[in-house]
Amino acid sequence: MINAFRAEWVPLLRRRFLVGTLAAVSAVAALGAVLTIFSAGRTDFDGDPVTVSMLAVPAGIAEGLESVTILLGVVALSVTAAALAGEYSRGTLRTQLIAQPHRLRLLGGKALALALFVVLVVAVAAFVAVSLSFALAPVKGVPTDQWRSWAGMATIGRSLVNVSLGSLGYAVVGALAAVVLRSPAAAIAVGLAYALPVEMLVGRIYDPAGGWLPAHLMEIMAVGGTGHTTPWADAGLRVLAFCGVSALLTAVLFRRRDVTA
Amino acid sequence: MPAQHRHAPADPVTDASHAQGHSHAQGHGHAQGHGHGHAGPVLPAAPAAGDLPGSASSVPQTAPRQSRAGSRPGTRPGIRRRPGGSAPAPSDAAVWTRGLTKQYGQRRVVDQLDLLIPAGALSGFVGPNGAGKSTTLRMLLGLVRPSAGSARVLGEPVSTPDRYLGRTGAMIEGPTFHPGLSARRNLEQLALLRGVGTRASGARRSQRGRRARWERIDEVLHQVGLTSRADDRFGSYSLGMKQRLGIAAALLPRPRLLILDEPTNGLDPAGIREIRTLLRDIAGTGMTIFVSSHLLSEVEQICDHLVMIRSGRMLFQGHVADLLAAEDPRILMVPERDDDAVRLAGILGSAGLRIEIEMTDEARSVPTLVERHPVVVAHAPGGLAADINRLAMRAGITLRSIRTHRPNLEETFLKATGDVDGDLTMRGGAT
Repeated sequence: MINAFRAEWVPLLRRRFLVGTLAAVSAVAALGAVLTIFSAGRTDFDGDPVTVSMLAVPAGIAEGLESVTILLGVVALSVTAAALAGEYSRGTLRTQLIAQPHRLRLLGGKALALALFVVLVVAVAAFVAVSLSFALAPVKGVPTDQWRSWAGMATIGRSLVNVSLGSLGYAVVGALAAVVLRSPAAAIAVGLAYALPVEMLVGRIYDPAGGWLPAHLMEIMAVGGTGHTTPWADAGLRVLAFCGVSALLTAVLFRRRDVTA
Repeated sequence: MPAQHRHAPADPVTDASHAQGHSHAQGHGHAQGHGHGHAGPVLPAAPAAGDLPGSASSVPQTAPRQSRAGSRPGTRPGIRRRPGGSAPAPSDAAVWTRGLTKQYGQRRVVDQLDLLIPAGALSGFVGPNGAGKSTTLRMLLGLVRPSAGSARVLGEPVSTPDRYLGRTGAMIEGPTFHPGLSARRNLEQLALLRGVGTRASGARRSQRGRRARWERIDEVLHQVGLTSRADDRFGSYSLGMKQRLGIAAALLPRPRLLILDEPTNGLDPAGIREIRTLLRDIAGTGMTIFVSSHLLSEVEQICDHLVMIRSGRMLFQGHVADLLAAEDPRILMVPERDDDAVRLAGILGSAGLRIEIEMTDEARSVPTLVERHPVVVAHAPGGLAADINRLAMRAGITLRSIRTHRPNLEETFLKATGDVDGDLTMRGGAT
């Protein structure tokens, strides 16, 4: 599996893909930071007021990052789906399976590399969001003393873990869509269509479903449970169960299906 | 080493005894013949599809010569039984299948295929589009699960591809690589997957491993003549370069068996020649090569062993020379005066030859080079041409032209696969 893991980094580190992905997440993170800081004195998406004092607390340092968790999830889903389904559609999977016939080892190595890649992408997003938050805070008069405290640093670490977990959940959805549909465009489209509009509609029409919808639960995880009725731990367990089933399905399909592309 | 020298012609006696193990295929739709397959001295009958020598019905299949050695009463020579294996496989077969079948729904893509590719052979795999060649190769490489039958590659069952793919290189349905990566990086990914230079641990060993990997990549790039473009993006390559990179990737593990699916697809004549030379060079190292191709002239030129399938069923397998030797040789004559054609046919017919008169018809879609004249076709070997000419002269018939014709692999293939009827093929080829 370690060979598959190392091999997967070769296409992941190709310049265009790497620069494109990092540029996209940096832009997303910057957007989150800018909108969060400049929302001070206004209301947020849900109409709740955002004040300078609310942003000045240690947790305020991660507000910019946590405001774009869905977008980071979208990036994670897209990267995973594109990487895995692309191997099918390009036909490179058959070449790889001839080089590494242990299908589960190949999938495991790929999954591990993609997971690490997603975490690195989230880390870059966190770096951009936090750096920009520090840079923009004086503009709106937001004090950053508490951000620099241990509590602030701990918040960054916790937020990084939560957002990474949430994004990894999206990545698992992307992997399943990729193995089922075997086309990058279809996998990304279906994955996003499910995670965004479909779940949103279901959640709005039938509110109690919100506690069981995978993408919604990933969002709860990513923001640390803040502002949601479902506790973080419950959301985490349910996401774990969903991801476990998805990973199992992905593995079974990947192992058993004929490679005809 | 020239391909034809790599294998002696099959010994009919040995082949017949060896072929006993292949009787499984009999009784299928393609096994219609009764094993004649060989032309008579004067009046050879044109073999029908499925009646070819080496077809499941009349198998003189290539028998590995070593298999004759050490035979004991009560045992089949060259056969070994593996514990847990359902069928015996010849010890020196690189690829061996019995009743290999792949079915998608009601459609049988590969139907009871019995393959035997001798180790060290340069074997061609031919068949019309949709004949099941790629599916067969995919099954041999563990990419597609067989619906029925058994198969062994390098002595290992295809259900455990990890046991033999480390010694197998393959390119299936064209070269596929990341378009944004260079040839070197693409090969590096595959080398990493294969564990080339990755078994060492520790910083110094890791460095040595990396060097070994790069050296191997440089070697195969040099072997296929891509060194100067090794750092260019795959997406910028010409089709010929892509094919060569595909072969380079297949050569990475220093394979004992090389499986190539249409390596000359889409290439110009120069590219085809390059690949042909490359394959000959590789075959010279003793590697077993199993190559599928639509370009039958290429197969005829480079392969000493041939497998021909249609609709997933075996039509022929054995030496190319055996197949062509059994084909129907003909002598084509054009009398100076058209009126003499019938008379000439009568004279030759009374001499015991099977004769046909082809009335050229300009309305026919297939072009003929002998226009507007009847062609008298005698089914006879070329050695009789002089005698026929003398007979015609004695009867006062002057021949405008007389030529001998032995179908090449392409014509044999088209006839066997039923794509073109024999006469049509013969006329087109008799130029």
